[in-house]
Formats: sequence, C-alpha cells, structure tokens
Amino acid sequence: METQFDITRLGQEKLFLILSSAERLRQNNIRVIKTLIDKGYRVIVITTNQPSAILKKHYAAEGIDMGKVTFIDAITKYAIGRIPEGETGTKFVNSPSNLTDLGIAITEVLNPASGERSCLLFDSISTMLIYLPSIHISKFIHFVTSKLRLLDVPGIFLAVEKGIDPLLLTQLTTYVDDVIDMDRPPGLPEHESKPLGT
Amino acid sequence: MKRGEKGMEQGKITREGGHRVWALAVLGLVCIGLEIIVHLYFRTAVGYTHIFYILLVLSALWYHHKALFIAGGLVCATLATSLFVGDLTWATILRVAMFLVITWIVATISEERDRANRELAEKKEEIERKHYALVGYISEAALRMKNPLEMLRDNLTSMRMQLDQGPDIDELKMMLSVQITHLEQIIENFRELNREIIEERDEIPQAFRDFLTR
Repeated sequence: METQFDITRLGQEKLFLILSSAERLRQNNIRVIKTLIDKGYRVIVITTNQPSAILKKHYAAEGIDMGKVTFIDAITKYAIGRIPEGETGTKFVNSPSNLTDLGIAITEVLNPASGERSCLLFDSISTMLIYLPSIHISKFIHFVTSKLRLLDVPGIFLAVEKGIDPLLLTQLTTYVDDVIDMDRPPGLPEHESKPLGT
Repeated sequence: MKRGEKGMEQGKITREGGHRVWALAVLGLVCIGLEIIVHLYFRTAVGYTHIFYILLVLSALWYHHKALFIAGGLVCATLATSLFVGDLTWATILRVAMFLVITWIVATISEERDRANRELAEKKEEIERKHYALVGYISEAALRMKNPLEMLRDNLTSMRMQLDQGPDIDELKMMLSVQITHLEQIIENFRELNREIIEERDEIPQAFRDFLTR
C-alpha cells in the first residue's frame, strides 16, 4: 500500500490536508518530509504529538538532511517540563494549547531572509484536539492558512482519518486546496477533491 | 425554537389575530342588529340574547378580561333598549348580570390556561436548548477523547515495538512523559464533561456529583 504524495501539485495547490491512519501517522510524516526535502524545500515541522528530539532521531535514521528541517515543538516543554540540552534549530512553545505563542513562533520561523523555499508541516491536528476545543483549532488553522497564503508558502496539515468529526473536517477542507488520503487502498484515486458545499 | 420557526409562528399569530377581530366585529354587528330588530322593533325581550353569549365567550377566550368591555357594551345596549321599550324588570337585570359573570369566568379560565401553556412552552424550549447544548458538548468531548486515545494506543504500541528492538531509554522516557501528559489532559477533558453533565442535571445526588468530578 505505497502511495506517493504528489508534490508536483504544490505549484498550483499550496495547502493540503493529509489524512492518515493513526498507526501510520509517523511513517506518513516521514514520507511527506522526505518528498518535500527531495524537492528542495526547507520544512518547518510543528509538532504537538512527538517531541522534536525523537522526530530528529527518526528523520536522521531515514537519511533526512536535518539542516533542511526547522522544528516548532509545542509538546516537549509541556510534557517533560524543560528543554532538553543541545537542542538547536527548534523553537519551543510552552503548551499545545498556547495558540498565541504558537502563532508567534510560526510567524518568526516563516519570515527568515534566507530566500529558501519553505513549507510548513503541521503534525498533527488530531493531537491538538486533546488540548483545545475544535472551534479554537478551526480558527487557528484558518489563521495559519491565511498567513501561508499571504506569504505564498505551501503548508501540509496532518490529521488522523476518522478522528475528526464531519463539521470540523468540512471547516478544515474550506481552508486548504486539497485533501489527500495517504492510506487509500491502491486502485482508488490518491486525493479526493473538496467535498461539495465547501 | 429556531428563528425561522419563530418568525413563521409570529406571522401565524398575526393572521389569526386579524381573523379574530373580524369575527368579533361581525358578531358584534349581529348582536346590535338583533337588539334593534328583535327587542326594539318586535318588542321581544327573550331568546335573542342567547346569541350574545357566542360573542362574549369567544371574546373572553381570545382576549381574556378585555372581553368585559364588550360585555359592558352589550349590557348598556340591552338596558338602554329595555328602558326605551319599557320592559326593564328583574329578569333583564339578571340577564345583563349574567353577561358579565359568564364573560369573567370564561376570561379567567382561558387566561389561566394560556398562562400554563406559555409556561409549558417556555420550559420545553429551555429543556430543548439545554439538551442541544449537552449533545453538542458530548460529541465534542467524544471527539477529544476517542481520537486521542487511539493515538495514545498507537504511540504505546510503537514504544512496545521499540523495546523489542533494543530500547533507547532516554527516548522511551521522553515518549512516556508525553503520553502521560496526553492522558492527564484526556482525564481533565473527561472531568470537564462530567461537570457539564452535573450542572445540567439537578437530580444527581451530591455524593455522585463529588465522585464524578473528583
């Protein structure tokens, strides 16, 4: 069941909601990030599920160039109460529910003068649901997607399929250009268009 | 009740109000006509006044104690005609007194009935509003518990597999801390749901309230 994320569409369609099964979320995260880096993007990973230190190890094990990845880590400080030593290239946010700090961190990371092509990867909307009501998440994702559109930066939002209720899913699909189901069985189209009425 | 439904209900009430005024006006004219034709012209003081009760009962049903003004008008008309015709007796006084008494009784009963209906409708609306809010909250809470618990299960499964492959203790410790934090938040979400339910349901005993929110 190997489906390749069609990154070529990033030129025309910039914002994607990627649905994945819970057990394959980490593998899909790695697949997406590998594809993005292969295409020359600097990837900004916002993590709310796994600490950036662990993600770094997994990425390194998969041969991903860590110089091309910047982290905004919203879980480490909240879960273990401190920032691990020797963490570079990571912005730490106090808590996944602190959307103000998260928004500031995203704005700071998205505005470097390096001239590199950046892409934002949000992992994951589903974990945010532990810490925030869906209405707040919807507003925050709307804020982020609007910012990305203004800055002309592509963005990918990961979520666990079947874990998001129809109302929130409908709202999220209105903010993005396309919805991709990473675990769709072979033979079926990889991506599905926005649901009608969005 | 939704805004659209409320608007439709309001329109229906306005239309009904218009019909009622017309019906009472026609009945009023009929009564005055009977008073003039039967009493004044034919000099008959019995029978026709029974028709008055239709006007009085309907006006009392629809406009409650305001109907006493209509009853008063009919009393005046009947007394004036009796004085003019010269047939004012105790029977006439009793008849006009009954106009007022019947109107007052029907008005009081219908006013009480309408008040009870209004209270019932308000209570029903309040219960429905609370019910919808509770259903919304429960679905939100389910969303914030079921999905995270599945993620937690998968994270723990992944950690279990790591143990078989030669574990990195520091990494496992960090991952366990994250899972504990997730769990604490899920428990807090669950407590919040319980608190919401308890606030909705007054009949839950205090001991159970304490247990559910501990």
